Amino acid sequence: MIQLSRNYTLPEREDEIIPIRVIGVGGAGANALDRMVLDGLDKADLVVANTDVQSLASSVAAAKVQLGRTVTRGLGTGGDPELGYDAANESADEIRQALADARLIFICAGLGGGTGSGAAPVIAELARESGALVISFATMPFGFEGKRRMAQANEALVRLQESSSAVICFDNDKMGDIVAPKAGIHQAFAAADVTVSQSVRSIVNLIQRPGLIRIGFDDLLSALRSPNARCLFGFGESDSDNRAYDALTQALKNPLMDRGRLLADAANVLVQVAGGPGMTLSEVESLMQELNRHVGDETQILFGTAVDGRMGNRMAVTLISSLAADGAVVERPVFTAPAAAPKPTYIPPVEPKAVPPAPVPAVSLDEDIGEMMFTPEPPAQPERPLKTIEAKMSAPEPELEIAEPEEFEPEFVEPSPAPVLQAAPPPALIEPEPEQPRVILPAKKKALPAVVEAKPAVEKIVQAKQEVLQFESVTRGRFEKSEPTIVEGQDLDVPTFLRKNVRVK
Amino acid sequence: MASSDLMVGLEIGTSKICVVVGEGRPDGTIKILGVGQAPSRGVRKGEIVDFETAMKCVHEAVVDAETKSDVMIRSVYVAISGSHIQSFNNRGAVTLPEDRDEIDEQDIEDVKINAREVSIPAQNAFLHSIIQHYHVDGQDGVLNPVGMLAEKLEADFHIIHGVRTRIQNTIRCVKELPLEVEDVVFSALASAQVVLTPNQKGLGALVIDIGGGTTDYILYVDGAVKQSGCLGVGGDHITNDISMGLRIPMTRAEKLKIDEGSAVLGNCLPGETVQLRDDSGFAGKEIERETLNTIINLRLRETFELLKKKLEEEPFINYVGEGIFITGGCSHLKGIAHLAEEVFELPARVAHAQTMSGLTSAFENPQFSAAIGLIKYAQAVQTDRPRPRRFGRIFGKLFNGMRLS
Ligand SMILES: Nc1nc2c(ncn2[C@@H]2O[C@H](COP(=O)(O)OP(=O)(O)O)[C@@H](O)[C@H]2O)c(=O)[nH]1
Ligand SMILES: Nc1ncnc2c1ncn2[C@@H]1O[C@H](COP(=O)(O)OP(=O)(O)O)[C@@H](O)[C@H]1O
Ligand SMILES: [Mg+2]
Ligand SMILES: [Mg+2]
Repeated sequence: MIQLSRNYTLPEREDEIIPIRVIGVGGAGANALDRMVLDGLDKADLVVANTDVQSLASSVAAAKVQLGRTVTRGLGTGGDPELGYDAANESADEIRQALADARLIFICAGLGGGTGSGAAPVIAELARESGALVISFATMPFGFEGKRRMAQANEALVRLQESSSAVICFDNDKMGDIVAPKAGIHQAFAAADVTVSQSVRSIVNLIQRPGLIRIGFDDLLSALRSPNARCLFGFGESDSDNRAYDALTQALKNPLMDRGRLLADAANVLVQVAGGPGMTLSEVESLMQELNRHVGDETQILFGTAVDGRMGNRMAVTLISSLAADGAVVERPVFTAPAAAPKPTYIPPVEPKAVPPAPVPAVSLDEDIGEMMFTPEPPAQPERPLKTIEAKMSAPEPELEIAEPEEFEPEFVEPSPAPVLQAAPPPALIEPEPEQPRVILPAKKKALPAVVEAKPAVEKIVQAKQEVLQFESVTRGRFEKSEPTIVEGQDLDVPTFLRKNVRVK
Repeated sequence: MASSDLMVGLEIGTSKICVVVGEGRPDGTIKILGVGQAPSRGVRKGEIVDFETAMKCVHEAVVDAETKSDVMIRSVYVAISGSHIQSFNNRGAVTLPEDRDEIDEQDIEDVKINAREVSIPAQNAFLHSIIQHYHVDGQDGVLNPVGMLAEKLEADFHIIHGVRTRIQNTIRCVKELPLEVEDVVFSALASAQVVLTPNQKGLGALVIDIGGGTTDYILYVDGAVKQSGCLGVGGDHITNDISMGLRIPMTRAEKLKIDEGSAVLGNCLPGETVQLRDDSGFAGKEIERETLNTIINLRLRETFELLKKKLEEEPFINYVGEGIFITGGCSHLKGIAHLAEEVFELPARVAHAQTMSGLTSAFENPQFSAAIGLIKYAQAVQTDRPRPRRFGRIFGKLFNGMRLS
C-alpha cells in the first residue's frame, strides 16, 4: 500500500537549490551540453571543458575551461587519450575552480576519442576531491567507429569508474533503435545527445524538483550501485488520458531499459513520478502497480514524487537502475536479511491484489494531500540506523508499505564488498536528523567563475561592417553579388586607395 | 574516356573556366592532349553565385576541351577556391594494441582520422589531410612507418577545410552537366604540383596564385605543406579600383590594366600619360601613368602585406629557402615579382607549369597552373590508388567532414 505520511514538509523553497554542475568534456560532451541548453536546464550550471578552442568557442555553455593550453595549443588531442590526460592535468586548477562549491557533479563525455577518454577520468578525480558526488555519463562508440576507438573507450571507462561515484554508460549502438537505420552519423550522434541530455535533465529535476517525497543523492547512488554497473535508465512523459500508463510505457521503452526486461534483474530501482498539481494518487498507484510487473520480486523500489507547477497536465516518470555487468550476481548491499518487526521500506506491493483501492480516488496532490492521504499508523521509528533508506529520505517521510513485510527489512547491513561504483556519500550528505531535509543544505547558488571568456570575433566584424557602410553604395560595383571580403575589419572590396586615403585623380 | 590513364582537370575560375585533358604515360610523365576554355560568368571570388550561368560556361569549356583533345570527357578533377577555405596543422596519434608491435596500413588510416579529431566549424567539410611527417615512438621525420616496430605512431597533418555547401555547389554544378567528379582539390595545392619541383618543395617555397577574385596560397617547408589558404582578393579588385579611381568602365579598366599597368612605381616620366582609346579607336581620356600604377601598387602591396601578416602567425615563412613563386593570371602584371620581393623580403619570381610534353603554348601561361596541376595531382592519386574509386573518394570526403572524423 502506498501511503503518505502526514508530517510531510512543504515543497522546498526556490532558493533551496542544490548546487549542481554539469561538465561536458571533449567534443561529444560539448555537444551533449549544447543539447541540454537547447532542451532547457536551468537548475544546474553548465561547464564545457575541451582541448579544442573551436569547439569551446561555439559552445553555448556559460563557463568554459580550455584544457591543456600548452600541451594541445588549442587544437584537439588527435584522438590521443594520453594527450587528453596531460591536458586535464595541466588545467587542474582551472577545473577545480569551475567545479568549486558544487554538491553534485555530472560529467558528460563521449569515450573513444582523446579528450573525453583522457580528461574525463582526471576531471572526475578532481570533482571527487572537491567533496561532491560525481556521476559520469559516458557514451561508448558506435561499432562502426572501429575497434581502436572501442578499445580506447573501454580503457577510459574503467578509469572513469574508478574515479566517479557512479557511471551511467550509454552504448551508442544500443541507442540505435531510436534512430532510423539509414540515418547518417550526424543524426546518430544527435540522437545520442538527446538521450544523454534527457537523462541528465531528468536526474537534475529529480533532485531539484520540490518533492513530496524527495529523492536524495544516496537513493540515486543505491540505484546506480552495482559492480561495473550497466545503467538502466528510462524517462517518459505524457499528457494523454492515460498519462500514467503512457509515461511509464515510454520510460520502459528507452533502449537502456531494453523494454523493461532488464529491470527484472535489478537490485534497486529508483522511480520518480512528477506531475502538475492535478496528479492524483490513484494515478501514481496504478503506475507503481504496472511497474511492479516489470521488476523482480526482490527488487527494492526507491520511490519519489514531485509536484511541479510547470508540468501542467503532464506526468513524467524517471526510472534509474543498474545491473551488474555480464549477468554477475547483483549485490544487494543495503537490504538484506529479514529481521524483527515490520519496518518501513519503499517496496511497493508485490501482488497487485495487495494494493488496496486508492483511498480517495482522484484526489489532487496539492498542499492538502498530506491531510487527506495519511498513514493510519505512522510506523514506529525507534533507533533508526543512520544509513537506512529512510534516514536518507527527505523529510516528507513517505512510507510505501510492503505487502509481505517479513521478507524485506530495511535493517542496514554493512555494504557488501565495495563495488567499483560504490562511494561513501560525502559526509555532508548524511543528516543525523531524519526530520530535516537530507540532501538540502541550501547553499546559495554561486556564480561560476568565468574561466575562459571565449568570445567569438563577431564584435570585430560588426565594427568593420559599420565602418565600411559609408562606402557601400558607391563601391560594391563588381562585387555586388558576392560576400564582402572582410579582413582585419576592412572591407577589401573597397578600393585600397580609398581606404588608405590616397588621392588619385 | 577510353583509358583510365586519361585525366581531366577543371578549374572554375572567377575569370575563366579551364579544362585540361592529360594522359599519364607509363614512365610517369604527363602529356597534355588539349586545353579547353571559356570566359567565366556567374562566379565571384572563386565561388559560384549564379548556378545556371556558371553551368553553361563550364559546359562550353568542356566541349571546347573535347574538341581540342578529341577525347570524350566523363569525369574530372575539380579545383576549389574561395575565402571560406581554411587550414591548420594537427597531430594524430594511435597506440598499437598490446598484441601487435608492427605498424600496419590500418594504423596509417587511423592516425589520419585521429588528426581530424578537431572540430572545424559545423558547416565545414574537410578537403585534404596532407601528411607532413610521421613520428614513431618519438622518433621524428619518419617517411614510411609501415612495418616499423613501435608502440605509438604519431603523424602531423596539414588539414584543409571549407564550407560544405559551397564545395557542394561546385560539385553539383559539374554533376549536373553531367560529369563525374573524381575529386575536389584546393586550387593552390593543384598549382603547386606543377609550379614547384620536388626539390623546391624540399627547400621551402611559397606559391601565390593570384586569379580574378582570389589569391590562393600554399607554403612548403621540408617538402611538406605547412600553410595554405585563400584571400578573397584578386585581379578583379585591381580592375575595380582602376575603374573607380579613374572613373572608367570595368572593361576599359581591365584592358588598361593588362596593356599598361605595372605594380611598381617610379618607372615613368613625370607627367607621362596613357591615351585611352574607345572601341572605334578614337582617342579619348588621358590618364596619368603614375596614377594608374599607384592604384595597382596600393592594391597589390596591401594584398601581399595581408598575406605576409597571415603567414607570419606561424614561423614557417622564415624557412622558405627557394622564395616565392607567383602564378595565376595576375602574375602577368609588370613588376609584380619585384613588389613581392619588397614586401616579403624574399626572392620572388613569376612561375607557370613546368615542362610537360604536349601543347607547350597552353601550359606556359600561369593562368593554367591550377588546371594543369590537377592533372599532376590526379596522376599522383591514381598511382597511389590504382583502382579508381570514383564514389568512394567524394563520399569519403564529405562523410569525413562530419563530426565523426
Ligand atoms: N553523443 C555524441 N557522441 C559523439 C559526438 N561526437 C563524437 N561522439 C562520440 O564520442 C567519441 C569521442 O569523440 P569526441 O568527443 O569528439 O572526442 P574527444 O573530443 O577527443 O574526446 C566518438 O568516438 C563518438 O563515439 C556527438 O556529437 N554526440
Ligand atoms: N596580361 C595580364 N596582365 C595583367 N593581368 C592579367 C593579365 N592576364 C590576365 N590577367 C588578370 O588575371 C586575372 C585572371 O587570372 P586567372 O588565373 O585566369 O583567374 P581565375 O583562375 O580566377 O579565373 C584577371 O583579373 C585578369 O585581369
Ligand atoms: Mg573532438
Ligand atoms: Mg585560378
